Amino acid sequence: MGAAPASRDVTSYGMGLAAPLALFFLVFFVAPLLQLFWLSLHNDTAGLHWGLGQYLHFLTDPFSLGVLGSTLLLGAEVTAVCLVLGFPIAWLYQRVGPKLQTIIILIVLLPLLTSVVVRTFAWIVILGRQGIINATLQSLGLIDTPLKLLYTQFGVVIALAQVQMPLMTLPLITALGRIDPNLDDASCSLGAGSWRTFFRIVLPLSLPGVIAGCTLTYAAAITAFITQSLIGGGQMLFMPMYLYQQASTLQNWPFAAAISIIFLVAVLAVVSVFTTLGRMSRGYGGA
Amino acid sequence: MIMNRRSLLTTALTLGAMKAFPGLSFAQARPLVFATFTGSWEEAHKAVLVPAFRKANADAAMVLDPMLSVDQIAKVNAAKANPPIDVMLHDPGPALVAVGQDLVEPYPVEKSAYYKDLIAEAQEPMGPAPFFQVVGLTYNPEAVKTPPTSWADLWKPEFKGRVGITNLNSTLGTGWLVEIAKMRGGSEANVDPGFKALEELKPSLAAVAANPGALATLFQQGQIDISPGNFNAIQILKARGVPVEFVAPKEGAIAFKTTIHIVKNSPNRELAFKLIEAALTPEVQTTLMNPPYLIVPTNSKVTMGGEIARVLAKDTAELKKKFVFQDWKKINEQRSAWIERFNREIKI
Repeated sequence: MGAAPASRDVTSYGMGLAAPLALFFLVFFVAPLLQLFWLSLHNDTAGLHWGLGQYLHFLTDPFSLGVLGSTLLLGAEVTAVCLVLGFPIAWLYQRVGPKLQTIIILIVLLPLLTSVVVRTFAWIVILGRQGIINATLQSLGLIDTPLKLLYTQFGVVIALAQVQMPLMTLPLITALGRIDPNLDDASCSLGAGSWRTFFRIVLPLSLPGVIAGCTLTYAAAITAFITQSLIGGGQMLFMPMYLYQQASTLQNWPFAAAISIIFLVAVLAVVSVFTTLGRMSRGYGGA
Repeated sequence: MIMNRRSLLTTALTLGAMKAFPGLSFAQARPLVFATFTGSWEEAHKAVLVPAFRKANADAAMVLDPMLSVDQIAKVNAAKANPPIDVMLHDPGPALVAVGQDLVEPYPVEKSAYYKDLIAEAQEPMGPAPFFQVVGLTYNPEAVKTPPTSWADLWKPEFKGRVGITNLNSTLGTGWLVEIAKMRGGSEANVDPGFKALEELKPSLAAVAANPGALATLFQQGQIDISPGNFNAIQILKARGVPVEFVAPKEGAIAFKTTIHIVKNSPNRELAFKLIEAALTPEVQTTLMNPPYLIVPTNSKVTMGGEIARVLAKDTAELKKKFVFQDWKKINEQRSAWIERFNREIKI
């Protein structure tokens, strides 16, 4: 594998340099994944009888499918919020002076420097019955009884959007930075208004960043066990908690394995939709 | 021996692998590993049990590895032949699972100096119970003026939107469901009345916490004012100045035996036994009974005092009268079905 041929063609590279990493992935990523798959193909918790029972159980159960559906939907909502809020920040970043740029990048990066648990607890303080939002609204006399914000889908989406925001903003900043500012001027001088310029020039050219940001945010949001369970509470069930419950509390490893494989496939499907969209958009951008 | 690049790499990889998988090493010389629970348990064991064990055993090397019962079982299950843990701590449900999966050794009762002093309920041949956890009603005395007296008080209209519970992932949540089922004519084998009662409780629920720890946070945030709760968990909040009180309901507070076990195939069997012995001594149990830990003792030679005597029981006889012990063997048979049912039915 690693041995270089005696007479070397300069255009071919020896696999030797990639081998350690390939080996690492093989041992610590592919092998456990195969083991997981193998485990999921058993009908009983002891792992003695082969069969597709766990998959059938999941895929024929409206409740399980509902959990999968609501998790995928949650990811879509968080991604949408992140995109809508993140794009203007990234756009602004490209149009302000270096001093403001430093401040913006600091604000964007700051959440990454705090633990997810701390950030999530902060949201509990903000959204709670006696939290900042409810206290403010009550003192302004806008509401009588506190709004229920914590333990709602709304609360989970907002908290997750804040937690995952850097994953959206950073790729967007990079993508927008690659666009030649002269294109804007050219578009204007040819008579396009600023909205037209945005939709025909800036947005298509920034699509690689949008796709990258969406993929990262989506994947992070649907697997965010801590934020989902702390803000969503014990009655709102998403895939990571479902998996944990089956694996840890119930020790039903084959079913938990099947859940993770199904979840993995579902996420890969969504991600490949994103990439397909990206490829199609490149055609559109080039047209 | 000539050191070339390849042999150096092999050595480095082997050493790395041995570090990552201690089971690979040939000579077993690791310290005693004691898996305790996180939070107040870890604090109590680090401060009281570990020093007592070290003092009695010439500073033997040991490590505390705090994690949930279910995670302990998963870890030991994954490496049965050479377990990474020597001593496990379990709530009644997981304890039966661990025993059922053949992960623990019988306790060497005949060798033990303290086993016979334990109250009958704590004498478990597969692993004695050095501690009890007690579940009753917890409430915020600033918001709830008349202290509750019964589980049924949670359904009172004045607590609409103020009640917290946990889901059935925890021993607390499951045990409580069984208790309200019993209150309405059910039993460990029939929790239907309990689920019906939960259905009626829905309008009152402010939150379903994902775990008992989250329940404590809810009191701190003023999100809930009353809930079924753990006596020990409440003590920590109280010590931090959170207005919260505990009462044993008139139906009886639920007592969970917390058992301690020697893991099967443990390379440190002798030290594991000595650690458990230390946990059973009247001295350790007395210290743990006092503030700030307030852990209910199981050694009948310990005289109960302080907050425990005031709120729970002043002696073993009263303890047995006031506490309810549940049949976890029966509960475990159906627990996964109940968790599924709770997942489906309890949406607020």
